Amino acid sequence: MHALESVGRGANRFVDAFGFGAHLFFESLYWFVLGRRVGQRVRSEPVFAQMMVIGVSAIPIVSMLSVAIGVTLSMQGINSLEQFGAQHQVIFMVALSVTREFGPLITGILVAGRSGSALAARISTMVISQEVDALKVMGINPVRYIVVPSLVAMMIVLPSLTLWSIGISLVGSAFYVAPQIGTTMGAYFAQVDASIDVDDLAHGLTKSLIFAVLITIVAVIDGISVKGGAEGVGRVTTSAVVHGISAIVLTDMIFVFMTTG
Amino acid sequence: MAEAQIPQPVIEVDNLVTHYGDRLILKGVSLTITKGEIMVIMGGSGSGKSTLLRHLMALEKATSGSIKLLGRELGDLSQMELYKLCRKIGVSFQGGALFSSLTVGENIVLPLREHTDLDRMTMNIMARLKLEVVDLAGFENLMPSELSGGMIKRAALARAIVMDPALLFCDEPSAGLDPVVSSALDELILRLRDAMRMTIVVVTHELDSAFKIADRITVLDRGEILTIGTVEEVRNSSNERIQNLLNRRFEEEEVDPDEYLARLMGQT
Repeated sequence: MHALESVGRGANRFVDAFGFGAHLFFESLYWFVLGRRVGQRVRSEPVFAQMMVIGVSAIPIVSMLSVAIGVTLSMQGINSLEQFGAQHQVIFMVALSVTREFGPLITGILVAGRSGSALAARISTMVISQEVDALKVMGINPVRYIVVPSLVAMMIVLPSLTLWSIGISLVGSAFYVAPQIGTTMGAYFAQVDASIDVDDLAHGLTKSLIFAVLITIVAVIDGISVKGGAEGVGRVTTSAVVHGISAIVLTDMIFVFMTTG
Repeated sequence: MAEAQIPQPVIEVDNLVTHYGDRLILKGVSLTITKGEIMVIMGGSGSGKSTLLRHLMALEKATSGSIKLLGRELGDLSQMELYKLCRKIGVSFQGGALFSSLTVGENIVLPLREHTDLDRMTMNIMARLKLEVVDLAGFENLMPSELSGGMIKRAALARAIVMDPALLFCDEPSAGLDPVVSSALDELILRLRDAMRMTIVVVTHELDSAFKIADRITVLDRGEILTIGTVEEVRNSSNERIQNLLNRRFEEEEVDPDEYLARLMGQT
């Protein structure tokens, strides 16, 4: 009975959070589009500041992981395809899997761990120290002031980082694959070009846009649900990472099922 | 001519009832605060004074009753109307609630930046002026984490008055401060009322501070108002609960042994 009850409670919390997240997203869109008209405009400075934090400072780690993913996929691919004498197909396999799957997924997971947790920590600290209350009594909408700049920055930066990650993964892969299968870098990229089309790129970038929304909304929901002091901040920061990554992986599966099934 | 003499109400609270879950916090609170007066809301811990303040700041929704601020019924306002009304209100929170990612100067400029079209230089001048009012001139480039407790409260006060509000709320302005800093803050609140004709609501449990600054005092206990009166009226009140509060005596509750036992066993 206890187990059933806790499943019920969990489902209830999920539906609550989902509804609140949807509301938060549409409220953010409202402030972004109509904020200026009602005297609550979204300023560009915090958007650029967030873009720097989320994007520019993440470039080194995204690059390093992307190279590693590209090389690892290439090694595994050559090893597997070799058994059928089809190791030349590794370029097709790497290009497609990096563009459609690994680029968006790895970048999303990395940004969820880095920036989703930072956003949850920032919001929860603001809740505890009454900064959110201070915004409200100053006549400043907290969603417009805190959430919208992060959401907009994330929606610009994550697809850009994903694009960067795809490119770097393919470069990493090229350095490994070209000598292994006895081809040139030029021929490698010519085959990449022949292997992927705009739809594949759109598939990857659309997913990264969805991940951007998920990471931000999940971090905000976790951040404002903080209870207690510093310990509470630590708890919501951890849960923002766990929830963010889970949301990304599950959404990825659903997205792939819906677009390829 | 006679009408001009009638004190203009700035805050009107009528029969405010509020719950947290099943717990009844405010039991039908009614009070009126007029323009230019300093009203101190006093009471022990758990008396409901901070809850009342949160309702006055429109941060909580009441179970029933009404609150009128500056002639506007809070329950009838749309979110945008509420934001507009908030521009006429300043709030100094107990912990300051300064934005930790902004400098002191940026904190004070924030309401101006969000609600006015003033140029950056004018906003900076106004921020420095307010910092001078609270004796923090020259501290605008420091981060809140670099300030002492008293300085944080004064910086929060500077931010609260930067829009020259008609109404100022101060939550425990002198709590946790040494007597000298606490007294300086009291003087500052009096100066704000006299110089800017602000209506000021101060929530405190510091008796010395309350008696020094109050035009009138509202004494709250267990969610109900025991009395509203001048300092003298409160001091001379014959109400035992008020005297207990003033003399810092702990009031023992009558306990039903059965109910007490049930409470200990987690049955209520």
